[in-house]
Amino acid sequence: MFGLFNKSKDKNEGSKQSYPEWYTELQESQQRWFSFLEKLEAKMEELATASIPELKQLLQEDEDLYKRTFHRVYSGVNGQLNNIRERARDVYEEKVNDLYYNINSQISVLDKHHDLLSDFRIACSDRYNEFDNKYDYWRKQIDKTQERDLEIEYQKILNEFETIKDKFSCKQCGGHITIEKIFLIETYISCPYCQTQNTFAPSTLGRNLQNIARELAEQRTAHLHEAYEAEKDKERDLYHQRHELSLSIIHERDKKVLSEVQSKMNDLEEERQFAIQNAPKLRQVYLRAMYDEWNKITPDLKEHNEKMYQNQLKY
Amino acid sequence: MEEKKVNSFLNRLKENAQKQTNYGGEFETTEAKMSVKDCPNCGAGRAKEDGVTHCAYCGFEFLNVKLTDGLYIKKEDNSI
Repeated sequence: MFGLFNKSKDKNEGSKQSYPEWYTELQESQQRWFSFLEKLEAKMEELATASIPELKQLLQEDEDLYKRTFHRVYSGVNGQLNNIRERARDVYEEKVNDLYYNINSQISVLDKHHDLLSDFRIACSDRYNEFDNKYDYWRKQIDKTQERDLEIEYQKILNEFETIKDKFSCKQCGGHITIEKIFLIETYISCPYCQTQNTFAPSTLGRNLQNIARELAEQRTAHLHEAYEAEKDKERDLYHQRHELSLSIIHERDKKVLSEVQSKMNDLEEERQFAIQNAPKLRQVYLRAMYDEWNKITPDLKEHNEKMYQNQLKY
Repeated sequence: MEEKKVNSFLNRLKENAQKQTNYGGEFETTEAKMSVKDCPNCGAGRAKEDGVTHCAYCGFEFLNVKLTDGLYIKKEDNSI
């Protein structure tokens, strides 16, 4: 009727055709940015897939007590990965952000074509986020190459202790001296027969126990840490779920649907509040269990560890 | 082509890492051992009840600190 709708259609088509001259520049930049990130991603993947098996092998073969050769290569690979990420950031600043601000300064936000500019920026930044997620993924995969089963190392230390604990005798009178526990530093041990103060020096392997103790305790209580992390993440997750629901009923008129959604939202909120309360408790459970394990492995450091535990509880 | 580049980078990295010397020199592993220190002044042995800071016979000073309570050493280990 009156050709009103036709008219508006014509108008729309007209505006679509008359893109501003900077639009082609935007499109080209977007395309270049996308293909640039694709190349970087391919590079990143190639680097990671080639280095992960190498790193794992290196960790196995590294004779050094602290695995220093492995760590040098590990940080080299990480550095290279970081270079790729920095390159993406620089190019984003230079090619995407600069162009956006440049055009943004020339046109008004009320301009009918301003949407094109915003869309360009959103598309580019979404793609950039996608790239960053991939970076995080590879970074974590490379991080995982550091993990080694410390139970094996711990067992080695225990075995060594079993073999040495009855091996020594007093240097003065020759009486038998039993080593009671795994000492981490040089210690005076007095002979039970002549009371002479002998100095016991633990082996390199034995001394290393204090370096692996915490990590071993963390390995043993990893499931509790995961439970805490999961509970901590729940809060945001539930919040977003509830938010989605609240958006979905903006235009809803049906009271029945409204009340159903509202009760779901209430449930979610309740769960969320519970997660907020529960996460710190789970953290404490994890920390207590981890420190207990740690104290079991190195009872001598208990006093010191407990201070650290009390400190950690405050944060 | 690309793959070769990555591998040569990794090889170079590994080579350099292996060549690099550790700060503080080579690492030495030692076995557990027991030793005893007699008084270098008069040759007397050191017994538990005499403390560890001074020789019970000639008064030679092994340690010039006053010991406080620790994990293995207690303040009773001061020689009187």
